[in-house]
Amino acid sequence: MSKNKSKLNLNRRNFLTGTATLAGIAATASVVPITIANANHSEGTKGLPDFINWKDRDALIVHSDKGIETHRSAIGESLITPNRNVYIRNNMPTMTDTQIGKRNDWKVSIEGVKNPKTFTLGQLKKLGHTTMASILQCSGNGRGFFEHKVRGSQWKTGAAACVMWTGVPLMAVIDACGGINRDAVFMTSSGVDHEPTGLDPKKAMVERSVPKQVYQDAMLAWEMNGVPLPNAHGGPLRMVTPGYFGINNVKHLGKVAFTTKESSVKYMKSSYRISPIGKKGSQYPSCWEMPVKSWITRPTDETGITRAGKVQIVGVAMGGTRKVRSVKVSVDGGKSWKKAKFIGPDLGKYAWRQFVLETTLSTGRYNIASLASNGPDKQPELRMENRRGYAHNGWKDHSVNVTVV
Amino acid sequence: MKIKSFLLILLFSVISKIHISFADEAKMKKGLEIFNEKAACAACHILKAAGSEGNIGPNLDTVDGLTQASVIDIVTYGLGVMPAFGEDEILTEEEIVIVSFYVANSVGK
Repeated sequence: MSKNKSKLNLNRRNFLTGTATLAGIAATASVVPITIANANHSEGTKGLPDFINWKDRDALIVHSDKGIETHRSAIGESLITPNRNVYIRNNMPTMTDTQIGKRNDWKVSIEGVKNPKTFTLGQLKKLGHTTMASILQCSGNGRGFFEHKVRGSQWKTGAAACVMWTGVPLMAVIDACGGINRDAVFMTSSGVDHEPTGLDPKKAMVERSVPKQVYQDAMLAWEMNGVPLPNAHGGPLRMVTPGYFGINNVKHLGKVAFTTKESSVKYMKSSYRISPIGKKGSQYPSCWEMPVKSWITRPTDETGITRAGKVQIVGVAMGGTRKVRSVKVSVDGGKSWKKAKFIGPDLGKYAWRQFVLETTLSTGRYNIASLASNGPDKQPELRMENRRGYAHNGWKDHSVNVTVV
Repeated sequence: MKIKSFLLILLFSVISKIHISFADEAKMKKGLEIFNEKAACAACHILKAAGSEGNIGPNLDTVDGLTQASVIDIVTYGLGVMPAFGEDEILTEEEIVIVSFYVANSVGK
């Protein structure tokens, strides 16, 4: 079959747009966004797309140019996941420097408050300053363990990272706006990365509502692990909703609104709903709070030969919206468990803790598992079956088989 | 007699292969048409073989483990901003099979 570079009638993108006006934008955008998009998404020299060619290819599993996972052993041996190893999951194309413009001039509007205001990033920097560690985890992390055929990237453990964010506490921004409206029930964050595409915002805008109280620990972040927030991770400004799944940490943030109702866009209303297999709809729970979870990072098949004798079994454990309290490790597939020791600094309840169990293993085949608890909740043995493969925290699937020689 | 039967079987086999090949060629042609026009997959996806440069969804040449079955599934039910071409009756079942055949046989080429 010869290559056919026939001209496209991109007005046909109208099926993605909702109104005549937007259809017009899409038609206009038929030249612009695709040119822009193509400019930063051709294949890089290291087999990574150009927009993230600064990342460590060896640390990453490429499911597609927009779904890139961190190897189990590369999520960060020193607690924080280095930016070059952090996974990529984009619902919209990453905005370019040209589209973003001068970073300090980036605007975010605050609504549903006593005095609605629009701030530039430069102005936000004067309102407050804080640093916080929190986990970024895709709702579908662990989808690759589900046995029914689930659409989407087949993440195992690596759509997760522990990140040090710097920005302004949302509380400080709210104070500058005179406080939240009394009737607000949700905090709704909107990204603007759909705008250059010209697509219908109802279908393409990443807008996520979470319970209002999330504002208490939330922040608007402009730095990630000590560097300006990379465009690929939502720069120049991103909402951080600690303890909540990645999708709620809205990238390229343009608006925060305190609302009486949940957003009606597709990414809130129908996507990211945890429904039984074969069913879907907005009546099912949204991907909000992350559950308690842990997994082994070493030894694994990725970390080379495991010799008989003293072995350090290392992993990470997270408590979700609560502090993780304990982790147990099994080397016999869950028949018996030993308490592991937390190591390294405690960076707060929204960060993960590293753990280690020192043990002695003779030659043979082992199934190594970890089981974390945050007090009221502990990891279940099995996954919670659901249509889209979300929120998997079962310990059995996350275990590793290791041969000791 | 045995030789005659053998030659007949051989002839039949060659003819049916040619027929399949023609059928596949027709599906590829029709699939490209659907990809570029009716479904406008090209507006959102890169696929080198089709010369498309869309960048809303993943570059299809980079998708790990892509098969005709996986494309049929995702085109039928949609994902994220991608419409459910089957459920929403944007494409017929036959068109979905054809465009999925085209994509599965075009990636990386």
